[in-house]
Amino acid sequence: MMSFISYLVNGISLGSIYALIALGYTMVYGIAKMLNFAHGDIIMVGGFTVFTAMSTEWCPVWLSVVIGIIVCTVLGVVVEKVAYKPLRNASPLAVLITAIGVSYLLQNVALIIFGSASQSFTSVVKNVAPVTIGGVTISMETIISIVVSVIIMICLTFFINKTKAGKAMLAVSEDKGAAQLMGINVNSTISLTFAIGSALAGVASVLLCSSYPQISPYTGSMPGIKAFVAAVFGGIGSIPGAMIGGILLGVIENLSKAYISSQLSDAIVFLVLIVVLIVKPTGIMGKKINEKV
Amino acid sequence: MKKNTKNNIVTCGIVLVFFIICSILSSAGILGSKLSGLLIPIGIYIILSVSLNLTVGILGELSLGHAGFMCVGAYVGGVFSILVQDTVTSPIVRIILAIIIGGIAAAIFGFLIGIPVLRLRGDYLAIVTLGFGEIIKSIANNIYITKDINGVHFSFAAPVADIDAASAVDIFKGAQGIKAPQDTTLLLVVIVLMISLIVIMNLVDSKTGRACMAIRDNYIAAQSVGINVTKYRLVAFVISAAIAGVAGVLYSHSLAVLAPKKFDYNFSILILVFVVLGGLGSMRGSVIATVVLYALPEIFRELGDYRMLIYAIVLIVMMLFNNAPYFISIRERIAALPFFQKLKPKKKAVGGESK
Amino acid sequence: MSENKTQNTEKETSVMLEVKNLCIQFGGLKAVDNFNLTINKGQLYGLIGPNGAGKTTVFNMLTGVYKPTSGSIILDGLNITGKHPAQINKDGIARTFQNIRLFKEMSVLDNVKVGLHNQKKYSTIEGILRLPRYFKEEKEMDERATELLKVFELDGEKEQLASNLPYGKQRKLEIARALATNPKLLLLDEPAAGMNPNETAELMNTIRFVRDNFDMTILLIEHDMKLVSGICEKVTVLNFGQELAKGETAEVLNDPRVITAYLGE
Repeated sequence: MMSFISYLVNGISLGSIYALIALGYTMVYGIAKMLNFAHGDIIMVGGFTVFTAMSTEWCPVWLSVVIGIIVCTVLGVVVEKVAYKPLRNASPLAVLITAIGVSYLLQNVALIIFGSASQSFTSVVKNVAPVTIGGVTISMETIISIVVSVIIMICLTFFINKTKAGKAMLAVSEDKGAAQLMGINVNSTISLTFAIGSALAGVASVLLCSSYPQISPYTGSMPGIKAFVAAVFGGIGSIPGAMIGGILLGVIENLSKAYISSQLSDAIVFLVLIVVLIVKPTGIMGKKINEKV
Repeated sequence: MKKNTKNNIVTCGIVLVFFIICSILSSAGILGSKLSGLLIPIGIYIILSVSLNLTVGILGELSLGHAGFMCVGAYVGGVFSILVQDTVTSPIVRIILAIIIGGIAAAIFGFLIGIPVLRLRGDYLAIVTLGFGEIIKSIANNIYITKDINGVHFSFAAPVADIDAASAVDIFKGAQGIKAPQDTTLLLVVIVLMISLIVIMNLVDSKTGRACMAIRDNYIAAQSVGINVTKYRLVAFVISAAIAGVAGVLYSHSLAVLAPKKFDYNFSILILVFVVLGGLGSMRGSVIATVVLYALPEIFRELGDYRMLIYAIVLIVMMLFNNAPYFISIRERIAALPFFQKLKPKKKAVGGESK
Repeated sequence: MSENKTQNTEKETSVMLEVKNLCIQFGGLKAVDNFNLTINKGQLYGLIGPNGAGKTTVFNMLTGVYKPTSGSIILDGLNITGKHPAQINKDGIARTFQNIRLFKEMSVLDNVKVGLHNQKKYSTIEGILRLPRYFKEEKEMDERATELLKVFELDGEKEQLASNLPYGKQRKLEIARALATNPKLLLLDEPAAGMNPNETAELMNTIRFVRDNFDMTILLIEHDMKLVSGICEKVTVLNFGQELAKGETAEVLNDPRVITAYLGE
């Protein structure tokens, strides 16, 4: 029972990291109607930035984290401006392939700078002892991941529903043309969305690399794909859906690793996704859109 | 002769001429052993991209799990060949049987996966195909087949226990994959490629192909003229899967070792890139894009790590150049210059819009 | 009992479409309530009413896009209520759409050939292997499609992409495609929408021509009263999902209730 709780807590921790990444996917999808395949690689860039900053002597941990988040944010906005914005009215496939191109680009730049081998990442909370609650030992990374993610999700929900900029994002995702007619600056709203999504990826990169202390040019791709699955799982475009999807995915993955097979855990994650989509074709929280005939 | 038929013959001609010239150059020693070795994979990749084009370009469904069907074909065909290696000694007979069995296996997977998947649409379908591709890969990663004096043993997730160690031969070793007999020849690849190309082009230029394209363009209208949407989506999906399976058989028989890791979603995406850059629905485009995009990074192998960087940049620039309204207008202005007007009939663009 | 039977056989000879008590509900909203309609063979029938009255919803139920909550639809003696759209087309109803739905990336000729799909029997395998039946039937399809395009004066644009046609021709192509399925009953959803008076006049002639030469029964939705009064023999007026009036066109159009429904109090 104790071990079950510990697996469950670790699953929630992993899941909240997935949720942070999935939020980026889902916000970008909602607003730009594109699958941003390069989102996972933003995480990798964030991880390497923090890694590099921490390996210099003068840079304290907190500053490294801040630099990492800033680099991710700027990168996300730049990628949108350079690669995606010119294609705003092109076919979704063209945008998808461009995103794949950006993903290759980021991976290969990292490959040239850092090499293909995994390097060990020093946890940002390495000197803090794990906490034991009622016989279950929980690492500091796990606690921080959950706490940080929850705080971010609350702030994000507040931001989107209560602030002007957040409502502008909702309006643009609903109907770009109408939003523009209402005086919303669509371009800056989309940039803001990419900025927030990428900043969340930056946070996720710190949490992910601290919990699984390794980094390579391909670090971002599998978590990226899984977060994408989480976003679809919850209903792509839906913010609460991404949160629920991410956490569920993390729990399913960790429990199946623990009780079924560690090699098959990815397969099980995908299998659950498929079953959910077949039962409910637009995900857990997704809206069903009927085409008007 | 009909325009379509003429176009198709030209496409087949391009493929034939390309491979004939390359093999002449190769046997004359001009091409070098490194490039000669690329011909078989190029042929296999072309088969894959035309088969994926059937799903993505003709049926209009974004599939990110094509590597999964290839994986099924590769391993079913490969395991078959290893098992019958001693009884069927003729490599050509063996691989033809393997192709048939691998193709059928992939078609069955296509059918079973197609039934649930094709209920979904758009991005949901894309992610579910990706999921199935990853599941197939993970399953292959956990298969263990060993032959010993008592027969063939199968095990899942762990190596086969209780075997007669003296006579044991590993056939399928989990993540290490299989070592199929290297029966694939360039001639066979070209023949299979031509057959696949003809099958797909004939399919497209028939009632079935038109039904698929009608579903792609407007499924509500397609239903309204009596097209059974489910049936034709499934037909195209299964044929596409079967041909990918056949390509897989050729692939596993062209390599010394083939590990399941190869068939991850990146592989599916690689093929998708060929298809999109070649032009959706254009088989000739797929052929040309595959040759160019596969050969270029291989030719520039000396550049080491930089070659994939260049590939990525080329990919982004090409997509922007072909699809961004700003670049399209610049291109049209350039094309309107008198100098380019003269060149126009010869122009053969490898781009998003060559149909 | 036997009396009923004779009535039925009589109906089969003269009635093309018999709709009884058709209702559909979306959530709490009754979009169409207790709708009845009888169309005789060869009739040109109009379905009119203000925007949002439920006219297209009726079409969507007749063609199986929506399943009615209750009621029955009998086409030429055959109950087609709740069947799938493709099956209903095979049973004999073809339609056009208010927001044009062509196969945009296909040629004009191929659009019509898709309409001929179910009339030719060669299989996928025969198509791939190019067996004799493929060539024979493809040739027949080409000829028939060209014939249909000639009726709508589209045979000159055969090889063009459907999306490149001007708006009026796209509407005509949709009718040609619907006719290719060899229907008994043709449903036209606002065929004159977006046309100028000349084009509308031309369209009226075409619709009459189709009725006479293809032996067709036609039900159409239209806002252009000139077209409705010009070609429809009978009309039904829908308002808020319910039948407001029905009968001979001229009488109904002069009914004060109908005028109020359109113009308000």
